[in-house]
Amino acid sequence: MARFDDLIHQPVRLRIMAALAALAPDASLEFTALRDMLQVTDGNLSTHLTKLEKAGYVAVEKTFVRRRPKTYIRATEAGRRSFADHVAALRSLLDLAPTSPEGRAE
Amino acid sequence: MTERPPSLTPEEAREALALIEETTRKMRRIAAYGGMPYFLIIWGVVWFIGFAASHWVQSGPMVGWIWFVVDSLGFAATFYVAARLRRIMKFPLAATVGWFWLILVGYGVLFIFFAQPRTDTQFSLLISLLVMFGYVVTGLLYHSRFLVGLGVLVTVLMILGYMAFPTLFNLWMAVMGGGSLMAAGVYILRTWR
Repeated sequence: MARFDDLIHQPVRLRIMAALAALAPDASLEFTALRDMLQVTDGNLSTHLTKLEKAGYVAVEKTFVRRRPKTYIRATEAGRRSFADHVAALRSLLDLAPTSPEGRAE
Repeated sequence: MTERPPSLTPEEAREALALIEETTRKMRRIAAYGGMPYFLIIWGVVWFIGFAASHWVQSGPMVGWIWFVVDSLGFAATFYVAARLRRIMKFPLAATVGWFWLILVGYGVLFIFFAQPRTDTQFSLLISLLVMFGYVVTGLLYHSRFLVGLGVLVTVLMILGYMAFPTLFNLWMAVMGGGSLMAAGVYILRTWR
């Protein structure tokens, strides 16, 4: 179902979800790799991840690799579904967009 | 049913979709779905060189050495790519797939030992069939119809080459087998750009 999602639509969160949804379903991405790819700060990424995690869209796993702390993030099933619905809503908006003078959807 | 906010313009929707597409492309380039296209290219090159050498050099210890060298380089390149990806990604299924391939190699050795292929061509065919069986199962594990299809396609090509052109089997395998794997890897990378 095409359903617009306000939480996902914010540009950084939109890119986070796009990046994680592009991975295989069981794959998770390391925090710094996601940060570098999105070119955002640690704090900015953390803030957005917390919101997505609270919504149940991403799962955050903190672990140690060779005694160094690592954080891995993956999109949950609910997150993938909501993201797909959001993309479908954006697409359908373009297909169905009425031609109002302001160019805004009604 | 579509629910959308009244304030979103088509232009904003277009920009959001462009942002999603750009990010998806970038991510796929970085993660490359667990390295699949790179592994296909690596092993396509290994097959191409190995089978081409088998065709031109024919038989003898030299062929065995060439296969040993290209296989070793193939494994080294595979481990290198896997290690690089492991630094930024966790891919739980990769461990299962790795174990599956190790077990397949073990069974392959037993299979060849007891089946006792009579000719070099039969030997090559049996090993290649096992490898393609591995591709199909790996594709099933990853839910990748592309990889399953590729495994089945190369299997059909192998059997076709074995039946129709037995004297040119190695050359056939270099071009059709190695070529298919390389082409599939390049195709994935190109379509993801």
